[in-house]
Amino acid sequence: MTSAAARGLVSCPECALVSRPVTPQAPGHCPRCGEKLVFRRENAIQRTWALLIAATVLYAPANLLPVLATTTIVSSSSETIMSGVIYLYASGSWPLALIVFVASIVIPIGKIVTLGFVLVTVQRGMTTSDRQRTRLYRIVEFIGRWSMLDVFVDTFVVALVQLSPLMSVDPGPGVVYFMAVVVLTMLAAQSFDPRLIWDRSTHG
Amino acid sequence: MDEPEDGDLPEAVAVAPRRSRFSPIWIIPILAAAVAIGIAWQRIASEGPTITITFKSADGIEAGKTFVKYKEVNIGQVTGLRLTDDVANVEVTAKIAKSAADLIVEDAHFWVVRPRISLSGVSGLSTLLSGNYIGFEAGASKTKARKFTGLDVPPIVTGGAPGRTYVLKASDLGSLGIGSPIYFRRLQVGQVVAYDLAPDGKSVQLRIFVNAPYDSFVTTDTRFWNASGIDVTFGTNGLEVRTQSLVSLLEGGVAFDTPATATASPPASAEATFTLYSDRSNAMKVDESIATRYLLYFSESVRGLAVGAPVSFFGVPVGEVTEVGLDFNAKTLDVRPRVAIVLYPQRVIARLSGPQEKRAMALVGEKAIRHAIVQKMVEQRGLRAQLATGSLVTGSRYVTLAYFPRLQKSRVDWSAEEPELPTTISTLPEIEEKLGRIIDKIERLPLDAIGEDLKKALVGIDDTLRDARGVINHFDADVVPALKAALEDARGALGSAERMLTSTEANLVGTGAPGQVELRNTMQELSRAARSLRTLADYLEQHPEALIRGKTAQPMPK
Repeated sequence: MTSAAARGLVSCPECALVSRPVTPQAPGHCPRCGEKLVFRRENAIQRTWALLIAATVLYAPANLLPVLATTTIVSSSSETIMSGVIYLYASGSWPLALIVFVASIVIPIGKIVTLGFVLVTVQRGMTTSDRQRTRLYRIVEFIGRWSMLDVFVDTFVVALVQLSPLMSVDPGPGVVYFMAVVVLTMLAAQSFDPRLIWDRSTHG
Repeated sequence: MDEPEDGDLPEAVAVAPRRSRFSPIWIIPILAAAVAIGIAWQRIASEGPTITITFKSADGIEAGKTFVKYKEVNIGQVTGLRLTDDVANVEVTAKIAKSAADLIVEDAHFWVVRPRISLSGVSGLSTLLSGNYIGFEAGASKTKARKFTGLDVPPIVTGGAPGRTYVLKASDLGSLGIGSPIYFRRLQVGQVVAYDLAPDGKSVQLRIFVNAPYDSFVTTDTRFWNASGIDVTFGTNGLEVRTQSLVSLLEGGVAFDTPATATASPPASAEATFTLYSDRSNAMKVDESIATRYLLYFSESVRGLAVGAPVSFFGVPVGEVTEVGLDFNAKTLDVRPRVAIVLYPQRVIARLSGPQEKRAMALVGEKAIRHAIVQKMVEQRGLRAQLATGSLVTGSRYVTLAYFPRLQKSRVDWSAEEPELPTTISTLPEIEEKLGRIIDKIERLPLDAIGEDLKKALVGIDDTLRDARGVINHFDADVVPALKAALEDARGALGSAERMLTSTEANLVGTGAPGQVELRNTMQELSRAARSLRTLADYLEQHPEALIRGKTAQPMPK
């Protein structure tokens, strides 16, 4: 199975129509949907790596800084993501703890690891299990937005629980970093070109 | 336009598009790294020390929830709790803010603040809402420390409070405890801050703190006594009840005072040691380093004389009874009461005036002089010990020393270990004896003869009375008529006086009385004279020349 690029054809990244490029250097626009055509996304691997590294770096403060600060008249406490999960689990509501754990810990780490794995395999020119790697990439792209669940809950609680001066809930600095991690991993997933996964095997 | 030939044209050089090695996208991870490093740096820079405090129990302490507060300001937070390896204590790990790191020195103290309600007050009420926290008291040391042992109770006196600490030695703790008040003239001036058993286990050491400026009243001669509870004494002085404040009644306390005799003693230095006496009277006893013991043998009952009863000399207590017993004389086979007393010459000296006191103090220091003084008193002045009744109600008795110069001479034999002091019979039996003698004399009176004489005297009186009556009769007959005539004369004189008064009244007071008319006429004349005088004055004012020229004719107005 040869790819379109190998035959000097270009596929539209939007509507997948295969057309002949105007010139190999500037393939022009898709005759059907008008999208700018590229053989492969420019600097896709480098871009993805950059965003992925940024996300990884910011993942540390996102988990170490508190995401929610609760202040009552007599006490104040702040919770990080993990302490929140532990608190939920300890207080008996393990399904909630599981949801938060999956959405806030498993998915971001999973995304970073998966994207990193895909990038390494593409750069190394690995040709096996293209299909699995493509599926992994699709899952990453699909699931990315669900990590925002945490940020969503956070904003909800902050907006609802404002019983100042009796009790108030304020967002902690961690939530900003967490949001940055989610957005950066989504951008990283988007800037990757999945066609690179099977390029080598078709060329080879 | 010439078409250039293909062959003439140079071939274009195909330059492979230069692939930029670094995409600007790398700014994002660099920024992210910068932010992350910034946060990490901030965290590390603001990181204070982590300390461990050992407590007996972690009651109310929770990791991540309990704060360390200094002056009610959060300076740290408990980060962890764990049992010590021997499972006897709890080790609390706390992270202290960097700003307070300098306060964490070796002699800093930590304790758990929880609500405390005691007789002396309520504290830590705020913890009912906020939960317990760890209180902190900065130390004075400069050496930093990271391991501490928590206090069981909050320190009473905070490090900065001005005042002085003293040590009291007591035989037992009584009802005192940490926080027990210290009173000076019933004013609370300090507190007991700590106590422990002396190393030998024979006494208790109390550390007390006296606030400034009251610490200046603690002099080297100051006496401390236990002011706990009620001190009721039922002795020869009658019923005596001493208390301090109500709080000390319930909770105990220590009071101090300086005896009036020690006026010029310097203030005691901090950490000075004092004895804690059991009560005020014990504490305020003058220095009794010199004590002389004597034996007294009485020839009468010593009932009512108890050990501790005072020995007074001219009414001044100078000693006390130490033993009441009997003495058996093997030679005469006689048993008699034996009373041992102890005399404190310094008690007498303490009552002397200033300069005398110093001289006497110097004298009394020597045993020989002391003996000579007592010997002289006994030999020349007739000093004797005597039983006296202190209270007729309780029947308690005491020993009094007094001079009986008429008694036969006696001496003190100083060779004995406890020399004997001569005694004399107490005054009460003496009175009884005198009374008996009086009754005897009364019995011996010739009452019958007296009665006979009395009778005779009465007859005489009767005669006299009869004579008196004769005199009165004579008075009635002769004197009374003359008196009556005199009275009548007097009445006549009064009548003429009355008439005279009536005529006077008619002349002067009545409406048509000649006196009145005369007076009215005179007054009218007077007012007329005054009027003409005024006219003259008016005229003279207008025509002053008239005084010289006389009255001129008035020009007629036109």
